[in-house]
Amino acid sequence: MTRRFTWLEGVIIAILLVSAAIMLLPYLWMVLSSFKSNLEIISSATSFVPQNPTLDGYRAVFEEAPFLTWLLNSAITAVIITAATLFTSALAGYIFAKFTFPGKRLLFLLVLATMMIPFQVIMIPTYLIVSKLGLINNLAAIIVPSLISSYGVFLAKQFIEDIPRDLLEAARIDGAGELRIMWRVVMPLILPMLSALGIFTFMAAWNNYLWPLIAINDMDRMTVPMALVFFNGAHQVNYNVVMSAAVLITLPVIIVFLIFQKQFIKGLTMTGMK
Amino acid sequence: MEISSLKRESGAGRKLRSQAVHRKQRLFVTASLTPIFILFTVFAFVPIVWSLILSFYQYSPLREESPFIGLQNYIRLFSDGLFLKSLGVTFKFVGAAVIANIIITLLIAIAINSVRFRGLRSLFRTIFFLPAIAPLAGTAVVWSTMFNYNNGLFNMILAQFHLEPINWLGDPAYALFSVIMMTLWADIGYNVVLFMAGLDSVPDMYYEAARLEGATRLQTFWHITLPLLSRTTLFVSVTTIVSYFQAFPQFQIMTKGEPFNETRVLALHIYDQAFSNSNMGYASAMAAVLLLIILLVTMIQLRAGRSQWEH
Repeated sequence: MTRRFTWLEGVIIAILLVSAAIMLLPYLWMVLSSFKSNLEIISSATSFVPQNPTLDGYRAVFEEAPFLTWLLNSAITAVIITAATLFTSALAGYIFAKFTFPGKRLLFLLVLATMMIPFQVIMIPTYLIVSKLGLINNLAAIIVPSLISSYGVFLAKQFIEDIPRDLLEAARIDGAGELRIMWRVVMPLILPMLSALGIFTFMAAWNNYLWPLIAINDMDRMTVPMALVFFNGAHQVNYNVVMSAAVLITLPVIIVFLIFQKQFIKGLTMTGMK
Repeated sequence: MEISSLKRESGAGRKLRSQAVHRKQRLFVTASLTPIFILFTVFAFVPIVWSLILSFYQYSPLREESPFIGLQNYIRLFSDGLFLKSLGVTFKFVGAAVIANIIITLLIAIAINSVRFRGLRSLFRTIFFLPAIAPLAGTAVVWSTMFNYNNGLFNMILAQFHLEPINWLGDPAYALFSVIMMTLWADIGYNVVLFMAGLDSVPDMYYEAARLEGATRLQTFWHITLPLLSRTTLFVSVTTIVSYFQAFPQFQIMTKGEPFNETRVLALHIYDQAFSNSNMGYASAMAAVLLLIILLVTMIQLRAGRSQWEH
């Protein structure tokens, strides 16, 4: 970029500023609407900025809905799914990368093949299996099918393959068991990949809507995204209540993101994961 | 390190030891992989096969019997107006949304990368990425209120300019467009970040060379940036296509496929058939069609990827 083009840079920055403002507009709308009163929303004279800001919406969220239970359900399922996925992916990745056994190639190909299957294909049989196991309408229905990840196994294998064999042999000569080697030698070496996998697994679990929608019926067992939609159905008219719930749900997500932003972006470009 | 003590071991001892290590390793492999593959079998392999089998049955969980009907479900698909309509809507949505997404995200990434101030660059990236981390279901709820006919944000803006209000989600001419708009807002962050990383990896010497040759900015973009970004673009396009073919929450929450099924994408139609109408066999046949489409897209990517290069 030469100095001559400063005017062009100015134009680009101006355009970016306008687009950034447009990107932020829905957040502003969400926050402002959450402070509107019931009356104001129904009246035809409603405007962008609340005329008489109130906390009615927030009060309704805590009084009418098991809001903290929803948060807890989401936290429990997402944490267990993430921890389990990291463990099973690292373990299977280690075995596929560093051991030989009959049928290894075929097994790995099978795992790879499941990666491109859309969820719409497996959701019906998975529903039938989960209901045969008696787990429908139970948090376990959300957790159990997600304890493993084919993409996680694939990623872990790729990264573990780069670990020199001598390092593992040295640990073996020291008398370390394989689980110990995985825990003490392999896992620390692939930590950046694991943190990326962890972040995206957690996010996918926290944001998942379709599977909880199928597997859960009771309001007390719902996770956050599904609960928000359910709540929306009950408060279609008074959207200040729904907006208050949306603010309460979005705020922690944004704070967590701003804290871990660097790892987030690095993980995204490293794994190409969504 | 116990290497010195190991060296002192007799040959026979070493052999015994290596056998013991081997046995232990085999035990480790079996003990670890068995539970993991039980999970893969129950929740990945079996569902895939079962789904294909179900598509040959008239299966409904509500009915006593579920007869084998061969290809009947698939034959029915071709004469089912609603399914064909849904297929068309899906392609319309994916086509428009993917093209808009790629163009917008590429332009934004280039614009952000050209900003000279580091802090401003990362601020822009953060703002564009922010919506991507929120649950899509939550975003859909918020946008439903923005699209509200009587007191939503968009009609307020139109009123400011003395324009007629639009029934964003209820007018067949606008409904799909509205959902695409919301999807883009929620989703462009990923691709902006991926394109920014792709642009960063283009070596400066190419731009130097172009400058020395006296190339204009447009020429540089067309002949250097775009070709060198082709692998990133291919990856971004395919992942976006595959994910948009499965787009579900925004449709289920914002339009429920209405008006006149103008927004009834395949993912929503399969869900409705399976879980609202309990036609699980028929829904499985539709899912098989979706699978076929996604496999084709993936195969095209593999083909194209082989003939691509990047500096």
